[in-house]
Amino acid sequence: MGNSVWKDTWLITLRSVKTTLRNPFSFIPNLMISAFFLLVYEGGLSGISQLPMFEGANYLAFILPVSIVSAAIGGAGGAGQGIVKDIENGFFSRLLLTPASRLAIVLGPIIAGMLQLFIQTLLIIGIAFLLGLEVETGFGGILFVLLIAIGWGLAFAGYSAGVALRTKNAQAAQAGTFIFFPLIFLSTTFVPYELIEAQWLKVAATINPTTYIFESMRTVLIDGWIFWDLMQGVIAIVIACTITITFAAISAKKAVSRG
Amino acid sequence: MKFQVKFVIFKISIFLTLVPKILVGVIVVNGKIEVEHLSKTFKKGNVQAVKDVSFTVEDGEFFAFLGPNGAGKSTTVQILTTLINATGGKATVAGHDVIREPEKVRRYIGVALQETGVDPDLTGRELIELQASIFGFSKVDAKTRAEELLNIVQLTDSAERRIGNYSGGMRRRLDLALTLVNEPKILFLDEPTTGLDPSNRMAIWKELRRLNEENGTTIFLTTQYLEEADSLAHRISIINDGEIVATGTPRELKAQIGNDLIALTFSTKEEEEKAERILKEHMNSGDVILQNRKLTVYVEDGTKQLLELVRLLDQENIEVATVNLSSPTLDDIFLKITSEQVEKEGEVHGE
Repeated sequence: MGNSVWKDTWLITLRSVKTTLRNPFSFIPNLMISAFFLLVYEGGLSGISQLPMFEGANYLAFILPVSIVSAAIGGAGGAGQGIVKDIENGFFSRLLLTPASRLAIVLGPIIAGMLQLFIQTLLIIGIAFLLGLEVETGFGGILFVLLIAIGWGLAFAGYSAGVALRTKNAQAAQAGTFIFFPLIFLSTTFVPYELIEAQWLKVAATINPTTYIFESMRTVLIDGWIFWDLMQGVIAIVIACTITITFAAISAKKAVSRG
Repeated sequence: MKFQVKFVIFKISIFLTLVPKILVGVIVVNGKIEVEHLSKTFKKGNVQAVKDVSFTVEDGEFFAFLGPNGAGKSTTVQILTTLINATGGKATVAGHDVIREPEKVRRYIGVALQETGVDPDLTGRELIELQASIFGFSKVDAKTRAEELLNIVQLTDSAERRIGNYSGGMRRRLDLALTLVNEPKILFLDEPTTGLDPSNRMAIWKELRRLNEENGTTIFLTTQYLEEADSLAHRISIINDGEIVATGTPRELKAQIGNDLIALTFSTKEEEEKAERILKEHMNSGDVILQNRKLTVYVEDGTKQLLELVRLLDQENIEVATVNLSSPTLDDIFLKITSEQVEKEGEVHGE
């Protein structure tokens, strides 16, 4: 009687994936918004890439990271929403009453959220190719972009799962996802850093880790393999993941503890 | 000769290596619950939900915890089913300590709590199969088990529907099926019929009786309904304000409070209160309870004492509106015991 952690994690992840697929409205809006970013900004703003600061870059490649990060954050947010749903409808307690591994109970929805993120990111990149995307570094560059998207998504999944496990409340978890807006827009979202006019926005963009994610993705899509520029994104991810996953782990421990 | 000795040693060694396996197969898990001086204080608001509770439920017994909302029933069940830790005392379920060996306890128990729920996006069949897989069933065995259980709780026709579309009664039946997946030695049910219509309640009662009688499953049930405890349980503990105030068979509990019961009502509040005061002076004050505008008096011989009481009140110019003579039900026992407790506490505070 009883399974290994792997078997439990597999079973619970599978069930989370099933639940997500049966609620298409849990991922379609986010996917639409991300595709919308790509289409509308490319259509409306691509003219500004004539400016010298863009150094002849293709605006599609410039705006694609915004769309990808938006898809990644949305997908990873699904992890937290899955957990909150389980807690609210009592399924979480039911799992706690079985011999299932405590780790698997928390990890299942997070892995499902990461899978959702992965597929959404692939779809967005696919759309970009249909729109005529050209990538300086080719297939390897796309892989790098995917890795960065997953890394950044993982950081956000840790955050959203942590909020979910701590508050155990759907409204609070929903409110927690509003961090999406400052993360995406207080950055070099539409134009390079040099073109940002307001001083406060420059400060915000410098603090916002998403800026470094955007920059490393853009480097690989537009300029090529420039080691230090790419590392900035990786470092931002490592720092963010360390913080949010620790937060998630502490919250998870509290949620499954019996104190 | 030498060969024989060797052979015997060989046999013994084989036997010895097999012993643990044989034992595991033969040892029958004892569905006993032992609780000693259990208490639980919640940090939030420093609420003492369970106060020094001790009791034993024997293997195969049907035991009920009876008490009003907030009495500590659910907290006790949550401790016994390993959801929360006690702050004091000790509890053993199926031979394992709930605090030190929660994983082992979880294997042998089936639990339906008020806070456990279902994933509304799965179908009934999928959820039972998932639960079985988590308990270590193979894919094929999980399917077979799901089919059996759907049959038992009569959900075969709705097995392919998503649980979100189930009615309350169907959900409760599915809940029961889920608790039975691992063929538990002990079933914990926290108010399993609260809010159910009579036909669904009867269906659950019937299934619980069958499990207890045919499979010998120990059942620990909490309820607010005295009728439910009375009709199902072998033994009942009445819990109020975190403490067990009485334990016994339904018959023993009924015998505790005298033979008959007289219920009086009056047309005005003043009369009620005056009557209460007079009767309390006249007889054992614990036998007189005023609640919900009804004055209940516990007596030895109803027919004889009824006239006495009415006469007494008449002398004081109190007009009795209605009189009712009956045998006590568990409801009355409950009322009496809890009101005695309130009174006792009142005295303590008054000092």
